[in-house]
Amino acid sequence: MGKRVQHAGILLLAVLLLVGIAAMQQGKKERNRYETSFFDSFDTVTTITGYAKSQEAFEEQTKLLQEKLMHYHQLFDIYHTYDGINNLKSINDNAGKSPIPVDEEIIELLKLGIEMHQKTNGQINIAYGSVLSIWHEYREQGMADPAGAQVPPEELIQEMAAHTDISRLVIDENQATVFLEDGEMSLDVGSIGKGYAVQRITEYAKELGMDHFLISVGGNVSAVGAKADNTPWLVGIENPDLESSEAYIGTVELADQTIVTSGDYQRYYMVDGKRYCHIINPETGMPPEYVPSVSVLTNDSGMADALSTALFNMEVSEGLELAESLPGTEALWVMKDGGIRCSSGFEFHEKE
Amino acid sequence: MAKKTAYMGMLTALAFVLSYIEFLIPINLGIPGVKLGLANLVTIVALYTMGVKEACTLSLVRIVLNGFTFGNPAAMLYSLAGGILSLLAMIGARRIKLFSVTGVSVLGGVFHNLGQIMAAVLVVENARLLYYFPVLVLSGTLAGTVIGILAALIIKRLDKLIREQNQ
Amino acid sequence: MKKNDVILIVVLLAAALAVYGFISLFSAKNTKEAQAVVYLDGEVQGSYPLDHDTSVTIQAESGGYNILEIRDGKADITEASCPDKICVNHRPVQNRGESLVCLPNKIVVEIENGGETEIDGSTK
Repeated sequence: MGKRVQHAGILLLAVLLLVGIAAMQQGKKERNRYETSFFDSFDTVTTITGYAKSQEAFEEQTKLLQEKLMHYHQLFDIYHTYDGINNLKSINDNAGKSPIPVDEEIIELLKLGIEMHQKTNGQINIAYGSVLSIWHEYREQGMADPAGAQVPPEELIQEMAAHTDISRLVIDENQATVFLEDGEMSLDVGSIGKGYAVQRITEYAKELGMDHFLISVGGNVSAVGAKADNTPWLVGIENPDLESSEAYIGTVELADQTIVTSGDYQRYYMVDGKRYCHIINPETGMPPEYVPSVSVLTNDSGMADALSTALFNMEVSEGLELAESLPGTEALWVMKDGGIRCSSGFEFHEKE
Repeated sequence: MAKKTAYMGMLTALAFVLSYIEFLIPINLGIPGVKLGLANLVTIVALYTMGVKEACTLSLVRIVLNGFTFGNPAAMLYSLAGGILSLLAMIGARRIKLFSVTGVSVLGGVFHNLGQIMAAVLVVENARLLYYFPVLVLSGTLAGTVIGILAALIIKRLDKLIREQNQ
Repeated sequence: MKKNDVILIVVLLAAALAVYGFISLFSAKNTKEAQAVVYLDGEVQGSYPLDHDTSVTIQAESGGYNILEIRDGKADITEASCPDKICVNHRPVQNRGESLVCLPNKIVVEIENGGETEIDGSTK
């Protein structure tokens, strides 16, 4: 009897030990961190950092995100057409002619554009393509031939600005068609397209069961969950002053959130020693000159993208008011003198 | 029989107290739940004054008791792994009769720590924890030596006591 | 205490010390130096330690080029064929996670290993 009890005890002990170890292992699920980058979408570099069980699993997952991102890139492209899909170029090419059947995601994007136009008092205008294309042309020329770089003549800008009325963008949701009533107008979703796409692939990543990923499409950063140890991702806000030795003005913690920055220091061209950046204020037809950069932290990357552009187009005091009025949205401005302003809830680790 | 039960109860209480002391002065080896194993003292005393079976029972009771009182599942798991390995090492070391109580205790201490770290490696799935190996051998040796000397003193007195009572 | 006990203790202490010495030697070799890793369209093209001054010309697939200079522990693109020159205008990088990007040539220079700021990403 005693022996039997003893044996049973030993057996129980061994089982307990093994089960305990197995259970705790399950809870832990040790994963490694991987990173990948590619260039094929939105004319920028996309970096995906995340935790996966193996390199193969990571590549399999990020490959799906890359394809999805490419899909949006093609849908929102205004320079190229692609076989078998109607994209924004198709809509622009048929301006004043006929409605074009499009993917429901294009319609959703355009609706976001219209919504943001209203929310930002017209500081975001996705129907501003006619003016933007003039700037695009002059910028390309100016970069190819810096000595001969020119600013587009004011008359030309004003002439084109007559064809930027967003109310003439007609969306028929029932038919799933889009039509530009003004034959001279064109769409350019540069201020929201990338953000919208990032938001969609963030959601797609969650659907795929990816839960610890950081996606950055050209500095448009979105966090799927936190890091594997459940601490937030640490994201640096780049210093717009490229002469400075400080790469970042500071960092923010990101978990299931997104941060997007608009600045004048990345894409620009010089005319007579003056910098003209790629963001154009729809009110003036000129690049705004309020601040070097604005970052917006919120839950939706499309919103963040649109808002950062809108705030870049506004005076800081006006922008602060707008940011404070939006729940769950915070903004940070880097001022011309290098100083920092931010909305009341922005948690920011300043570089000392 | 009654005497034996009383003796076991006393040793269990002592082990419990020692574990409590250890709980009060935790040493941080970088692995949560890994401890020095002061309560080994009682296990050794039981092993020498009573026998293998009693030492095993005592050890198990102590671990479960402590696990529920002071610890968390992780700590209990580590103690269990450490306790079992330590016990096996001490039983083996005592049988080969090469060492005195101190030597047996030293081996018990070292294997106690090794058992814990092995359980930790399995749980965390991170072999880098083995970097703690030298620290654990060192701490196991030192703790084992101190405990062994103490145990030798206690066993000497208890032995006399038990023998006198049994006569 | 028997003589054997003393021997056991000494042996164990010596073993612990020996393993400790071995590990610290091994891990000293294992902590890598900071280096600039060059990615060409996402593929690693080469890596250059930051403690060794050098100048390399990176040939892009498009036929363009970037000149990467490593000096005083920093990596900098000093010349490039691209029209926008964003990479050239960018400040030299030296901390882990910082990078230089040339979009037209699809080149990324990223600092790996080395100390300081462990930033997961950046917004610009």
